[in-house]
Amino acid sequence: MRRVTGRILPIIALAALSGTCTSPDTVAVPGHEGARKSSAEIRAERRAYDGAPPVIPHRGFGADCVNCHNDRGRSVSGVGYAPASPHEGTRSAGGTIRCMQCHVFRTTDAEFVASEFDGVAQALTSGDRATAGAPPRIPHRVVMRENCLACHDGPGAREAIRTTHPERTRCRQCHLPIEKLDRFTTVTDPVGMDLE
Amino acid sequence: MKRRRFLHTVGAGTAGLAAFSCSDRERAERLAGSDAGIDEAGLTWSKAPCRYCGTGCGVEVGVKDGRVVTVRGDVKSPVNRGLLCVKGYHLPGMLYGEDRLRYPMLRDGDNWKRISWDEALDLIARKYREALDESGPDAVAIYGSGQWTVFDGYAASKWFRAGMQSNNVEPNARLCMASAVTGFMTQFQSDEPMGCYEDFEVGDDFILWGNNMAEMHPVLFSRILANKRNNPGVRIVDIGTRRTPTTDYADMYLEFVPGSDLAIANGILHCLVRDGKISEPFIRENVVFKRGIEDIERIGFGSWGEDGLGLEPGDGPAEHYRFKDQGRDASLTELEDFLADYTPAKVSDISGVPAAQIETLGRIYGDPGRGTVSLWCMGVNQHTRGTWMNNLITDLHLITGKISRPGSNPFSLTGQPSACGTVREVGTLAHRLPADMVVTNADHRAKAEEIWNVPPGTINPKPGLHTMDMFRAFMRGDVKVLWTQTTNPWVSIPNLNRIRREPGDGRFLIVSDIYPTPSTEVADLVLPCAAWVEREGVFGNSERRTQHWHKAVDPPGEATEDAWQIIQVAKRMGMEHLFPWPEDYWHKPMYEEYRSFTLGLGKDVASYEQLEQTRGLLWPVVDGVETRYRYAAGHDPYVKKDRGVHFYKAKGYGEKAAFWIRPYHRPAEIPDEEYPFWLCTGRVLEHWHTGSMTRRVKQLHQAVSEGYVEMNRVDARRLGIGAGQIVLVASRRGELELPASVGGRGEPPPGSVFIPFFDEARLPNLLTLDAMDNISKEPDYKKCAVRIERT
Ligand code: SF4
Repeated sequence: MRRVTGRILPIIALAALSGTCTSPDTVAVPGHEGARKSSAEIRAERRAYDGAPPVIPHRGFGADCVNCHNDRGRSVSGVGYAPASPHEGTRSAGGTIRCMQCHVFRTTDAEFVASEFDGVAQALTSGDRATAGAPPRIPHRVVMRENCLACHDGPGAREAIRTTHPERTRCRQCHLPIEKLDRFTTVTDPVGMDLE
Repeated sequence: MKRRRFLHTVGAGTAGLAAFSCSDRERAERLAGSDAGIDEAGLTWSKAPCRYCGTGCGVEVGVKDGRVVTVRGDVKSPVNRGLLCVKGYHLPGMLYGEDRLRYPMLRDGDNWKRISWDEALDLIARKYREALDESGPDAVAIYGSGQWTVFDGYAASKWFRAGMQSNNVEPNARLCMASAVTGFMTQFQSDEPMGCYEDFEVGDDFILWGNNMAEMHPVLFSRILANKRNNPGVRIVDIGTRRTPTTDYADMYLEFVPGSDLAIANGILHCLVRDGKISEPFIRENVVFKRGIEDIERIGFGSWGEDGLGLEPGDGPAEHYRFKDQGRDASLTELEDFLADYTPAKVSDISGVPAAQIETLGRIYGDPGRGTVSLWCMGVNQHTRGTWMNNLITDLHLITGKISRPGSNPFSLTGQPSACGTVREVGTLAHRLPADMVVTNADHRAKAEEIWNVPPGTINPKPGLHTMDMFRAFMRGDVKVLWTQTTNPWVSIPNLNRIRREPGDGRFLIVSDIYPTPSTEVADLVLPCAAWVEREGVFGNSERRTQHWHKAVDPPGEATEDAWQIIQVAKRMGMEHLFPWPEDYWHKPMYEEYRSFTLGLGKDVASYEQLEQTRGLLWPVVDGVETRYRYAAGHDPYVKKDRGVHFYKAKGYGEKAAFWIRPYHRPAEIPDEEYPFWLCTGRVLEHWHTGSMTRRVKQLHQAVSEGYVEMNRVDARRLGIGAGQIVLVASRRGELELPASVGGRGEPPPGSVFIPFFDEARLPNLLTLDAMDNISKEPDYKKCAVRIERT
């Protein structure tokens, strides 16, 4: 069994809000009656910069992460909705992936020394379209986000990007990735080592 | 507190971020490829290896307005193919702690005074000159790191050996992988592994010797897990003294009594020989047998007694450890006799490992149809018989012929990003020159003198002080001027109470770093450094991959490169002939000079142009082509096509590899009634070494914010200690209070505890023992005796 443990603050990752947001694309802030945050805001708070792996916003439950964060997401009674893992083939990899390599708990709010780091801001852009009716291109990197439905479907999906057609699971049949985003740099491959 | 005052003074300066210079930008653009280096969001991208571990993952660094604002895993890097670990993903934050050192600071009583670079460099030159004139080359020293870039290490080595005529050049890698160096050197007369990371995809069985790879080399561990996912027959065996996150993924776990890995390896050899699972044709063609000094009275532990030969604390603290092994010829028959003492049953008595598990390992190593990769790092290297243990692991591969083959290799992992590149290849250990050469060899000195263009006889034939003796000599006052760079010895040296220092003791300590640390706290002069992509650099990772990066942003304030600091001091000491390159263009010519040492020797590093254009290359690089498997026909250009395997570097053994017969010896200190627990120290995934960089990254600090002592639940219950409770841990050398961790990410067996060393407020090295490996002189951080008390 993969032990997942962490000493956790009572309320994690969600600071008190000054006002109440009533946009439909918001979620309640646990422990703060009536307070709501936009899911975009929460998304940004959990990351050091746009593109960084999010910290884990809950306490450890002592089980495999992929039991709940599987390929489709899962409602866990008494806890809430566990979004799907965006990484390709997570479920089939159960027991042979190590989520804690990149995702860590937040066990304190303290800082060792204040930081002047100001990471690249979250830029939630829409995909461009060739014509008005054309399917939008994928405006972000695909590496480590191969499972489109993890973010674009289900209760965990931000409304703005929730797909109207989750039943069509071959997303990239119509939505093209922009190669440059994934392979921005184009220096020659190292001699003698194939990448694939 | 003294240091807070220091922080204050230093923090008073402004960030002073100069604009990203034009030529750097142009270079980054060129590097980033034909479609321009700047993306739609206005980010300039360039490539670099990760700053932290010896895995050497490739990252793409995104810069905006002169600041690093993002990184991402480099999908073009063959090391990590886009993946990083949590430290790598949070690299940028490491540069921006608000207490970055920005100006040279000179101690002024209990305070610090900002001084100019000219004043600082003049002062260093004067101090070194005085020490040299008054006390000779033994009285000066420089202590760097496996995190030094190739430039820093090369500059330090050349300055000291060819300028100061002293070999007192050492890296913290002595504390880290020196036993792997002596392991490879004693067996192949050439350092570093034969395999490469491709072994992780093509191997079948992965035997981890005291190696918590899931936390220490996370991305490499992912590669093994991916192999296991694709090939369900793949097995992981974890041989350890503590359950770790790695154990969770292992097919078999062997828990052994600390130090008894020597017996286990001999037990496996016993099974292989007994069952006829050895490859006699391979041995006949490629292996010679050797045996060294085994009498414990003649070896000692380096910690006690005259010349370190004592066996007990009662022998008094040692000031020197200079044991030298003497090898003699042995034979397969002698090995067979020797192994009679290591039946699985006897080994089981010593190690606590069931005999059946030893038999299983015998079958794994003895199966010619399966690829076997042995992996190890600090558990084996930081060991009072670490070289022996390195030898024994490689012996398992030599005797079965499972070596220099894709998916079958003994693979030593390095902890630091350039332990291989800067320490082993450039040669910054006290006895080394570049490309496996040593100062004790007249031909090697002559070659170095020729390349360095200094008169014959310049290089001192006497090896310098190894790290532990260097710090002992500094405390005695025999070393009068010591300069440390890119390392934090007042956290990382074992038995810290032996090197407690009050400035004003007549010695002079210069510390170059990027943040205040316990080492800057005891310094006389502190120099601010440029870190990672704030300068140009070259690192060499665990698989012999040399990787280059260009400067991407300016360093803060007046911070400069470590190598630049060295060159400036050398120039002030009349040694400018050693660094004859223009001030604004010296990296490439310095590298090319270094490279000339390596060509034609099977150590050939890639050209600068090739390094700039690729994600690094595995040496030897001949005709621009890298080598994935050394000594193997069809891979290594130095091996004839029909030769199979050829250990061509081992001239002293008739171009064969040496199988060393090595016995089991007890550890230096064993728990007793007074100190009943074993103490093991180490790292955690989230923090890099002494934590001076990673603790300043919010997400990493918030994940693991303080040191702790990890205990077995049974012990905790028996002593009435709950998780989080503060306990006292004491050894014969010091004591420490810290919270207990029970049921955390790892669990030692009853009678053992573990303490990570990243937290400068809770220093396990107050407790550790300064016992060392007899051959490499690498200290053992994994085994000493402590007691635990509730507070
Ligand atoms: S710390 Fe090591 S494994 Fe993690 S990203 Fe850096 S090089 Fe890769």
